[in-house]
Amino acid sequence: MDGTYPAGASRGLAWATALYLVLPILIVLPVALTDQRYLSLPEHGISFQHFRTVLTSPAWLGSIWQSFTIAVAATALSVSAGTLCAIGCWRISRRATDLVRVLMLLPLIIPSIVYAIGLYRYFGPLGLLDRFLGVVIAHGVTGIPYVIITVSTALAAFDPRLEQAARGMGASLSQTLRWVILPRIAPGIFSGAIFAFIHSWDELVMVLFIASRDVFTLPRRIWDGINENLDPAMAAVAVLLIFFTLLLLLADRALRRRNEG
Amino acid sequence: MNDTGRVSAGWWLLILPAFLLLVAFYIAPILQVLAISFTDPEPGLGNYERIFTSGSVQRVIMTTLRICLITTALSLLLGYAIAYAITLASPRAKGWWLLAVLVPLWISVLVRAFAWVTLLRRQGLVNNSLMGAGVISEPLPLVWNEFGIIVGMVHYMVPFAVLPMLSSMREIDPRLLAAARGLGASRWEVFRSVFLPLSKPGILAAAVLVFIFSLGFYITPAILGGGKTLMVAEWISLQILDLIRWGLGTMMATMLVVAILVTLAVFSRIVDLRRIFGSGG
Amino acid sequence: MSETRGHALTLREVSKHYGSFTAVDRVSLDVGQGEFLTLLGPSGSGKTTILMAVAGFVTPSAGSILLDGSDITPLPPEKRNFGMVFQGYALFPHMTVADNVAFPLRVRGLSRADRDAKVRAALDLVQLGQFAERLPKQLSGGQQQRVALARALVFDPNLLLLDEPLSALDKKLRAELQEELKALHQRVGRTFINVTHDQEEALSMSDRIAILNHGKLIQHGKPLDLYERPRTRFVADFLGKSNFLEGIARLPTAQGFTLEAGGLNLAVRGTAPGEGARCLLSLRPEKIGLIADGATADNVVEGHILAWAYLGTGYSLRVATPSLGELRVALPAWQATIAPSEGLAVRLGWSADAAVPIEDDAA
Repeated sequence: MDGTYPAGASRGLAWATALYLVLPILIVLPVALTDQRYLSLPEHGISFQHFRTVLTSPAWLGSIWQSFTIAVAATALSVSAGTLCAIGCWRISRRATDLVRVLMLLPLIIPSIVYAIGLYRYFGPLGLLDRFLGVVIAHGVTGIPYVIITVSTALAAFDPRLEQAARGMGASLSQTLRWVILPRIAPGIFSGAIFAFIHSWDELVMVLFIASRDVFTLPRRIWDGINENLDPAMAAVAVLLIFFTLLLLLADRALRRRNEG
Repeated sequence: MNDTGRVSAGWWLLILPAFLLLVAFYIAPILQVLAISFTDPEPGLGNYERIFTSGSVQRVIMTTLRICLITTALSLLLGYAIAYAITLASPRAKGWWLLAVLVPLWISVLVRAFAWVTLLRRQGLVNNSLMGAGVISEPLPLVWNEFGIIVGMVHYMVPFAVLPMLSSMREIDPRLLAAARGLGASRWEVFRSVFLPLSKPGILAAAVLVFIFSLGFYITPAILGGGKTLMVAEWISLQILDLIRWGLGTMMATMLVVAILVTLAVFSRIVDLRRIFGSGG
Repeated sequence: MSETRGHALTLREVSKHYGSFTAVDRVSLDVGQGEFLTLLGPSGSGKTTILMAVAGFVTPSAGSILLDGSDITPLPPEKRNFGMVFQGYALFPHMTVADNVAFPLRVRGLSRADRDAKVRAALDLVQLGQFAERLPKQLSGGQQQRVALARALVFDPNLLLLDEPLSALDKKLRAELQEELKALHQRVGRTFINVTHDQEEALSMSDRIAILNHGKLIQHGKPLDLYERPRTRFVADFLGKSNFLEGIARLPTAQGFTLEAGGLNLAVRGTAPGEGARCLLSLRPEKIGLIADGATADNVVEGHILAWAYLGTGYSLRVATPSLGELRVALPAWQATIAPSEGLAVRLGWSADAAVPIEDDAA
C-alpha cells in the first residue's frame, strides 16, 4: 500500500545517524594514506609508507600473529563448549535449562572490567598471568555466549522429531549428533565461530590485566599507540583491522546466503 | 515438549564442559575478587561506607550515571530513527541501512575510538576544517571531556539500540497503520497512537540493553575521556592497577554488578529479556 | 441510524498498473446511495486493489473516483471519511475494545462525553456492550469482527468498505454473520462496498454484484440477474455451476432459435445470433429435470448416470449423454422419483428458457 507510514523529519534524522555511524570509521582510510608524518589528511599525494611501516615492523607483526593464534584457540574452545551446551539445553526441557542459559549469558551482561580484575587475582596462583593459555581461557570462556546464541537460533528452526526419528532407528547419541544434528546447524556454528573469533581478536580489557610482556596482543599494542604516540601508522593498523573484520562478516553472509538459497 | 522424563543423562553431559568452564573460570574468579570488598583492608563494610562519606566515590558514581543516562537517551532517539527508516524502507534499501548499522557493530571498539580521536582532538580534522573555513578561531574542546565520551559511546551503542527496536517494529502489522489512517488519523497521529505504543517493548529492551552496557564501559570512556572524566570502569582499574586499593576497587565492581543485575531484574518483569539477548531458542 | 444517509460513489475508467502488470483495467462502476455492492472475483482479479483505491491507500494510475459527483481521487485516506473493515480486522492490540471504537472519534477531536455516548451506541449496535473493557485478543473471531464493524461505523462514515470481512471465520459462523451484516446494512442505511471471493456470500448479502477477472469488470447487476442471465462463460462458471453446450444457431425467430448440437435440435429462448453462427449456451444443473417415459419437455436427451452424490438437500448427478457429452444435474431430494445408481438409464429434459446464450471468454 502506498504511503501508510509517516515519514518526514524522522527520515532526516535516520540519514544523519547513518552518516554518524559510518563516516568516522571511513575517515581512517585517507588518514592512513597520508604523506605526512603526523595524523592528517594527505596533502601532496597518497602514500603507502605507513602500511609499509606496520607490515615490516616485527613488533606489529608479532602482535598480529599472537592475536591470531589466541583467537583461533579461544574460538575452538568457545565453539566446542558452546555448541554442545546449546544442543543439550535444546534437547532437555526448557525450564530445567533456563538457569544454565542465564548463566551462559553472564559474560555478555557483566562488564569485562569486573571479570578482568577477577582473573588478575585468580590467575596469579595458577601461573596463568601473561601466558598464552591464560588469555585463551579468558577469551574462550567469554566467547561461549556468542556461540550459544547463534547455535540456539539455528536449533530453534530444527524439528526435534528428526532427532527422535534417528534415535528410534537405533542411532546412538554421538551418531545422532554427528550425522543428524551437527550438519543441520553447521551455519549457526560457523556464525558463532566468527563472532567468537572477532570477540577474542578485539578484546582489550582482560588483556590489560592478565598480560603484560610476553603476551602482547594487537589491541594491546593499538591501545599503547593511542595513549603514547598518535601517528598515521595507527590509522594504517585501523584500516587493516576494518578490512579483516569486513572480510569475516562477508564470509558469514556468503555462507548464510548459500544455506538459504 | 518432548518426553522430558526419559531424557538420557547423555544430554546433560553435553552441557557439562561449558558449565564447568564457566563455573571454574568465570564465576569463581568474579566471586572471589568481589569478596575482597568485604575483607580488604579490614573485614567489614568499611568500603561500602565510602559511598556515603567519600566525595570522590560519589562523584564518579554521579558522573557515570549522568553519562549513561544521556548516552541511553541519545542512542534511543537515533536508534529509533534508524530502526523506523529500516522498517519502512524497500527490501533493497533495507539491506544498505542494515549494513550501516551492523558494520560499525563489529568494527573494533579501539579502531572507532581512535577514529574519533583523529576527528575531534585539538588539531583534529573537525577543528582544522572549521578553523580553515574561518568558522572558529580557537579549537573547540571536543575530546578528552564528557562531550567526547558521549559522542564515542553513543556511536558504539546505537547499533545495540537499533536491533531490539527493529525486531519489535517488524512485528507490527502494517494493516493496523492503514486501518488507523482509514479511520481518519493523520500520519502523525498514526505514529503517535498506534506505531509508537506498539514499538514500546522494543524501546524498553533497547533502553535496558544500552544502559547496562554503558554502565561498565571501559575502553571508549578511557580513550575519549583522556583521564580527566572518570567513569566507574576506569576508576576501578585505577584503584587496582595504580593505587593498589583492592578493597575500594572491588567494592565499586560489586556495586556495578549489583546495579546491572537489579536493573535487569526490575525490567525482566516488564520486558521479555529474550528480546534483549537474541532468541536463544 | 435508520433513515438512508448513504452516499453515491462513481468509478470512472479507473486503472492501476504496477510496472508492466495491470491490476485494474479501466473499470467504471456506479454505486447508488445506500446500496450494498459486492466486488466478486478470484484472487488477482483486482477487486482488493479497487477497494484500496476507493479507500485511498492505492493511487489509481488513471481514471477518477467520485463521491456524490465530486472528485476524491487526490484525497489521502484520512480525509475521505470512509469506514473500513480490514481482512483480519486490524484491531489495535494495545487498546481495549472501547478505545478501538473510540479511536476514529478521538482523532476527530470529539469530547470525551460525546465519544463515550457514541462508542456505547456503536457497541450496542453490534451487541458487544458488555465487552467494552476487554482487549481484542480476549474476544472470539466473530466478536472481533463485530468490533471492527463498530469501529468502522461509529464516526458516521460516508461509505463502509469491507475487505473479505468474513474470510477468517469458520463456515457456520460465516453464515450467521452474513445475515447479521445484511441486517446491519438495512438498519444503518449506508452504502456498503464489500470485497469477497466467496460467491455464496456475494449472492446472499448484496444488492448488486460486480464480477471482476484479470482486472476487468466483466458484468454487474442484481444477484438474481447475474445468476440467471450470465453474460459470459467466466460469470456462469464462477457464480455457481453450469453446463456448457456448444453448437450452431439455426432458424432465428423473434422468440428464440434452435441450437444444432450433437445431432440434436435444441429449442432456445433469447436473442438469436445470426443464422449459422457458432453459439455457446449455459445451462444450470438445477434447471435440468428427470423426465418420466412418455412425458415431454422442450428439450429431451437420453443418457445414463456416470456418478452420483447425495447432498442432503438433493442429489448431484453426472450423466453421460451420447449426443451432448457429460451433463451435471442437480436434483432436489423431494423431486427425486428414482433412486440413483451408476449406469441407470435416464431421460433429461429442460425448458426452452432454461439455457442462456453466453459469450465465450474462457482463457
